[in-house]
Amino acid sequence: MSEARSTREPGTLVAALSETIVGQRHVVEALLLALLSNGHVLLEGPPGLAKTLACRSIAAALDGSFKRIQFTPDLLPSDIVGTRIFDQRESAFGTVFGPIFANVVLADEINRAPAKVQSALLEAMQEHQVTIGPQTHPLPDPFVVMATMNPLDAEGTYALPVAQMDRFLMKVVVGYPTRDEELQILDRFAVADTQPLRGVATLEDVAAWRAQAHAVHVDEKLKHYIVELVAVTREGDRVRVTTAAGRSISCGELIDYGASPRATLALANLARARAVLAGRDFALPDDVRAVAPDALRHRIGFNYRLATEGVAVDRAIDALVSAVPAP
Amino acid sequence: MVRIRRLIAALTLALAGLPLCAGAQALQRLTVQSFTLSSDTATPHVDVPFHLVVTLHVRENIGSIGNIELPLLASLDLLGDERQINAAPGGSTYREIISVTAHTPGALAIAPAVLQAVDARDGHAKQYSTNGLSLKVVGSPSTAPLLNVSQGASVGWAFAWVGIWIVVIGATIAVVVAIARRGATADVRNAPPVVDEAPPLPPRTLEDQLRDALLVLRADPQRLTAVGVRGAVWRAIGADEGETLSAVLRLHQAGAEPMRTLLIALERAAFTYDADLPNAIEDACVALEHAIE
Repeated sequence: MSEARSTREPGTLVAALSETIVGQRHVVEALLLALLSNGHVLLEGPPGLAKTLACRSIAAALDGSFKRIQFTPDLLPSDIVGTRIFDQRESAFGTVFGPIFANVVLADEINRAPAKVQSALLEAMQEHQVTIGPQTHPLPDPFVVMATMNPLDAEGTYALPVAQMDRFLMKVVVGYPTRDEELQILDRFAVADTQPLRGVATLEDVAAWRAQAHAVHVDEKLKHYIVELVAVTREGDRVRVTTAAGRSISCGELIDYGASPRATLALANLARARAVLAGRDFALPDDVRAVAPDALRHRIGFNYRLATEGVAVDRAIDALVSAVPAP
Repeated sequence: MVRIRRLIAALTLALAGLPLCAGAQALQRLTVQSFTLSSDTATPHVDVPFHLVVTLHVRENIGSIGNIELPLLASLDLLGDERQINAAPGGSTYREIISVTAHTPGALAIAPAVLQAVDARDGHAKQYSTNGLSLKVVGSPSTAPLLNVSQGASVGWAFAWVGIWIVVIGATIAVVVAIARRGATADVRNAPPVVDEAPPLPPRTLEDQLRDALLVLRADPQRLTAVGVRGAVWRAIGADEGETLSAVLRLHQAGAEPMRTLLIALERAAFTYDADLPNAIEDACVALEHAIE
């Protein structure tokens, strides 16, 4: 366990972000988990819940670059990755890099752009590089995409294909603040804009935290637990959930397909990252169970019966996760 | 001492196997007909070996029995452990004979043995318990005469005592042989346990169970033991074994600080990496001591 250690703890980043963002502790932690796990996050929530502020704050706190891309139906792939432009004075093509070249990229309303634009972004997310013309360019490190989707407004949207959805490490549901938190928002933002804290940590710190997370011990019992958790999503028949009408039905009736092996890797990586956030060098069942909903939510193919039976996605996931006893 | 440690480890394995097997849903399907714990004496003597016998009758023809959790025998020395299965098409009898000695006189409460299995009649996982035992350990019969001899009684008296003791020992051997023969030939299914009518056990306190856990963990500081002790402590405070630590910490009994520290320390011992394990187990032992205090 003698990995390169940062002098700063990742918990300091959580504390700093909490100075700027009122509430949304779960969102802030999820963003950090994704950062430490070298993954990307899909944030789902109505407008006005500080999703953009959270992403901007995390980039500022790391002294990293931040770019925001507003996805629209007329967006082109070159608007994201960049393009080659002919320079008449030089008589040669020059490359203009798109907004994807940043440490933290906010892809706002990702489901508003057509599939070819989504796939351009998702290819960059997977490969950590983009090809413009004949040349391939590596993306900066760390490179984290935080995409948002608005669940309330489905008109004129292009649903993300399953394979592309699977590439997000986690899908986080952003909820409304409590009354107390909303009062704090009034106090903090009504008079003047609060500027995000800068330089709380560095990109080198992030690299060190990632190395720490990579070295976190995951016990055999925990590995079996993770595999069981993913397996139960494919064997929903052995789990029952109560419908809105109070009827008990099998989860198998609500699920078309279960989570992929990418979910297994995601659970292990997120558990490792959560252990680092907690200052541990070994993962616990608690870590796995805490990250399970965010890691599984977008990877389970629920069918129309989920809606007709009045079962919330998170309740179904909770039933599945609770059906597997922790080691 | 090595032998005792091995036996404690064996008991701990049985203890540890319970949550693991339950977690893996690998319980045996059994039709349990009877499950008893008995002793070959109600009044064992100090430093004289006696036997505890766990007997299980099931309707199935089985080759082995898993998921039996034996009682923790912290105040006894374990001398041996023998298991037999008489399997037959009409049913099987499992018998486990544990040889032990007590070193201090007084009341001795032995907790029930526990079996986890899927009830073949209704397909539900169940936990079966034996009766507990309440024994009275009495002083060694050899103490008084030996003291008299050493105090310089006359040679004639000493010879007389030796003669008396030869007769007593001979009679004891005859009785033991007779009991052993009867045990070997009698139908086990019909043999009533010697201490079936024992008065109800005084409830074992949390402190008793933590003392047992500390003894076991100190004797066998291994990962499997730590996992077993973690499960035992969780059960002792009423936690569900399939839960996670954060859920257990929300329980009322886990709220007090020494118990909280203990639960966290046991979690570390169960899941940390191998190089950290000795420290983690030592910390868990210290936390157990504090929790007992």
